[in-house]
Amino acid sequence: MPDDVQFMSHHTAVEYKIPEPSRLTIHFGEELAKGRIIGHKCPQCGKVYMPPRGYCPLCVVETTEADEVEVANVGTITTFSVITPLQYQGQEETEDYVQATLLLDGADTTIMVMRMDGIAIADVRMGMRVRAVFPADGRSASDSQSIARGMGLGDAVEHWEPTGEPDLTREQIAEHIL
Amino acid sequence: MTATWRLEFPYRRSVGPVIGAFLTALRDRKVVGVRTAGGHVLVPPFEYDPDTGDAAGDMVEVGSSGVIVHAAWVVEPLRTHPLDRPFAWALVRLDGADTPLLHALDCGSADRAEPGTRVRIRWAAETTGHLSDIECFELAT
Repeated sequence: MPDDVQFMSHHTAVEYKIPEPSRLTIHFGEELAKGRIIGHKCPQCGKVYMPPRGYCPLCVVETTEADEVEVANVGTITTFSVITPLQYQGQEETEDYVQATLLLDGADTTIMVMRMDGIAIADVRMGMRVRAVFPADGRSASDSQSIARGMGLGDAVEHWEPTGEPDLTREQIAEHIL
Repeated sequence: MTATWRLEFPYRRSVGPVIGAFLTALRDRKVVGVRTAGGHVLVPPFEYDPDTGDAAGDMVEVGSSGVIVHAAWVVEPLRTHPLDRPFAWALVRLDGADTPLLHALDCGSADRAEPGTRVRIRWAAETTGHLSDIECFELAT
C-alpha cells in the first residue's frame, strides 16, 4: 500500500512569442560576436546608451548609425547580489554565485544580471574594476535570443576577470548604481 | 519570424491531511468528502466548515456518479485544457455530497450539459493522486 499523498505537482507556464529583433538589435549582436560592444551617443546631451535604443529618452531625439560609438570591454561593478540557489525542481545551480550590475567605460547606462563566475565571491566589491573575456574558440558569441529579450549582452561574454586597477569610489559610481 | 520563449513554474505543493486524503482516495478511484457538524458532506473536502468555521469532521466516501448543477460550454479548448475537443466545465454534485465538484464533462454538445443530467466519473488509465485522476465526467445514460 503506497503512502498517503502529501504533495501535488503543479506546473504552470507562460509562453511568449518574441518578434523578430530590430535591425539595430541584430547589428548590436553581430558586433558583439566580434567582441565589439557598441552604443549610441545622444547628439544632444552626449549620454551613451548601451545597448543602443535608437533614441535618447531624456532628450526625446532619435539616434542613428551616425551616433554609434564603441564602449570599452572594461567596466566597474556598481552593485551586486550573491544568489544562493534553492533546490527546487528543475534548478540547475548548486553553488552560490554573484550577479552584478556593471557600468562599462564609455557608457552611461548599466547592464544588469552579469555573472561574476571568474571572481571569488568574497572578492567581489562595489567599485571593483572588471574586464570582459570573450570566448576564445571564436564560436558565435551572441545569443540573439537573449539579446532580443533585452538582456543586454546575453551570454556573449564568457566571464569577467578583475583588471587589478584600483576600485572606483562610491561617489564616482553614485549616479550609475542601477 | 518569431522565437518562442517558455517560462515555467514547477511548483510542488504540500496538500495537508484533508486534501491529501482526498487525493489518496482518487488514486484508489474513490471520492471522499468530509461531514460537517451540521451534517453536510463537502466534496472536495475542506479543513473547516465554511458555515461555522469549525474544524470539519470525518471523511466519508461518496458516489462516483452525480448530477450536473451548472455547466459552461467550451467551444475551442485551449492547449492546457484536459480535453482536446469541445467540452463543458461542469459543477457536478456527486451522490451523497451536498456541494458540487468542478471538472470537465465530455458530452459532445452543449445541449447535453443541462442541469439535472446524470453523469459519472471517467477515471484516468493510470492514477497518481492528483485531480487529473478524474479524466473527466461523462454522461451516465
